[in-house]
Amino acid sequence: MSSNSSEGDEDSGNSTGTYPSEELAHHDPEEADTEEIDLVTAVNDTLHQEMAREESVRVMGYDIGPLGGVYRATEGLLEEFGDERLIDTPLSENGILGTAAGMAMRGERPVAEIEFMGFFYPAFGQFMYAVVKMYERSGGDIEMPITIRLPYGGGVKALEYHQESTETYQIHTPGVRVVCPSTPYQTKGLLASAIRSQDPVAFMEPKKIYRGVEQPVPTEEYTLPLDEARLVREGEDVTVVTWGAMVRHAVAAAEDVDADVEIVDLRSLSPLDAEAVLDSVKKTGRCVVLHEARRTLGLGAEVSALVNEYALDRLKAPVKRATGFDVHFPDHDIEDDYLPDEERARFAIEAVMDYAF
Amino acid sequence: MVEWTEQQPPEDRYGVLDSDGSLDGDPPDLDDGELLGLYRTFIATRQLEDKMLNMQRSGEASLVARSRGEEATPLGAAAALAPDDWVFYTYRQNSALLHWDYPMAEIIAGTMGFAPETVAEHLDADADPDVNFAPDYTPIGVNVTNGVGSAMADKFTDRDTVTMVFTGDGSTSEGSFHDGMNFAGVFEPPAVIVCQNNQWAISEPSQRQTGAETFAQKAEAYGVPHERVDGNDVFAVYETASEAVERARSGDGPTFIECVTYRMAEHNTSDNPDVYRDDEEQREMWEERDPVERFETYLRDEGVLDDETKGDLEDEVDEQVSAAVDAARDIPDSEPGQMFDHNLHGESWASQHQRAELARELDGKNPFTDFTGEGFDEQ
Repeated sequence: MSSNSSEGDEDSGNSTGTYPSEELAHHDPEEADTEEIDLVTAVNDTLHQEMAREESVRVMGYDIGPLGGVYRATEGLLEEFGDERLIDTPLSENGILGTAAGMAMRGERPVAEIEFMGFFYPAFGQFMYAVVKMYERSGGDIEMPITIRLPYGGGVKALEYHQESTETYQIHTPGVRVVCPSTPYQTKGLLASAIRSQDPVAFMEPKKIYRGVEQPVPTEEYTLPLDEARLVREGEDVTVVTWGAMVRHAVAAAEDVDADVEIVDLRSLSPLDAEAVLDSVKKTGRCVVLHEARRTLGLGAEVSALVNEYALDRLKAPVKRATGFDVHFPDHDIEDDYLPDEERARFAIEAVMDYAF
Repeated sequence: MVEWTEQQPPEDRYGVLDSDGSLDGDPPDLDDGELLGLYRTFIATRQLEDKMLNMQRSGEASLVARSRGEEATPLGAAAALAPDDWVFYTYRQNSALLHWDYPMAEIIAGTMGFAPETVAEHLDADADPDVNFAPDYTPIGVNVTNGVGSAMADKFTDRDTVTMVFTGDGSTSEGSFHDGMNFAGVFEPPAVIVCQNNQWAISEPSQRQTGAETFAQKAEAYGVPHERVDGNDVFAVYETASEAVERARSGDGPTFIECVTYRMAEHNTSDNPDVYRDDEEQREMWEERDPVERFETYLRDEGVLDDETKGDLEDEVDEQVSAAVDAARDIPDSEPGQMFDHNLHGESWASQHQRAELARELDGKNPFTDFTGEGFDEQ
């Protein structure tokens, strides 16, 4: 199962280009020590940092020990922290989440890795019955500070169930935060916040862009808010709402269309930063949602409904969704036809720009 | 009418008290006070459950699951624990709760459907039980995995706390049971997993749960030591559980205990077992093995219990149950907005907006009048 889980081709990872330097606004670039790292290294660095910082942090999952994870995200942790902090488990997603829940009830702070988001389904029992529910059903007495790392997404030429983007299942669940970074800088700050959060967090990692592009990331500790969207670029004509691996396509499309595009990187998929979305769409009057998940009941449907409910009279065009299709993730030869890319994003932007009531 | 034919479970199980209350082995080392304490919990459990059944019949309680006839299993097992240990239970372990002074009013309030916040706010906060009870689990098997995780936390942090998990024969068919047992076998945490095999999972008899001869065997595949005992014999359960707890506490890992008992009553008050089980013979046989009568006979034979002591205990329990019912009835309904309180820490745009919508609805106002997302800001 893990033999085919390589990083895949990194061609479009490279097309991400450079990350906007203003991302480091929280840190004085003259003062802060930075290191050029890619996204998966940011995951690894953050796990090291948080495990060193707090003894109750225990990283759990399979293939994460001597192998260091199929993406090497947990490399070096076993050597540094031993096998009771870095817990190489049996092959059982439900077992991982269920025992993580029990540990969290007893004061631990588990970080559970589900090797691929498409392997999450067996874990749904414990996810629904214990992880997201215990805080509410105990009247706030029992907290569940669990982070569930979920490498997600397509474009890596992998096997079935290794490529999906099924965040809707988590988003529809009460009692869990769903977070998705899009850059190394975001990854470090958001993962640190997720691990320190008293709520369960489903932390999606866009594995397509794990490697390929590096960015200066402060070596010191920092956190980023778990419930705020990020304005990637400002524009006056149309808002593109997106996240994760799709952000780079939105950026590329924005540079290639005859319109002034504003890009909102949601970062927090649940709870949604509704104000950021509404403020932007009210300003631009047009909205495109770009995501790689299936269209029906994908988060784009929620964003579109939100805009319809609260910004209808500011709209100059209907909201359009540039997404994956309502099909099983296709095989290698046509997966690029399934996945949204710069072109699909550009078409959607052009369509809403050309529309007239 | 098609009914299940019940099967008699294999007899190879450990016992101390014979079904007539005479000794068939060595009794555990308990003094008269402790013995009377167990007896008191037996009758308290029966009186509490009978009272809750009445409350359900009169519409005060929504759903009640009774443990009549199988009280010795949770009682004997839980009595083996020490203060500060942990229990992950389901819905047929009232005797375990009462043994460790879990507030009776809280049990009743649970069946009446009050939110835990509201219950906590209106019951005596000092009435903490001596061992830690995780909230009771409705989905079956889930608690096995969580309990094993709890025990793993104890092992990894070098605490000598023991986690006891109660599960049923039906639960052993669930994935979470197997996931939990597997982790228990691999990590060897201080967990004692007690299977209350009462032969029935709602309408499914035990022969529909497994092709294995016994439930204890299921532990074999996971490398977890296992025992099989007469679940209606409080001494046998207590002794076996005590050894398992001791083993766990001294760092020698988990134990699985199958306690063979029988569900005398319905699964819960929404169930009618007459539809699916032809139980006359079985019922008579199990009635003869009633755990409370058997224990009472033993206590009388030993001179620990007489009519006067029994009468005093019953009066005392009566008062306790009445007071608990009164306390539970005094709990007011929850404030509706409370449903938003413990989903996530902090507020989101959606939770604020939806909370405001509910408040407007409760006020008789139209909650759908906001077309900008800012309409409720002034509230």
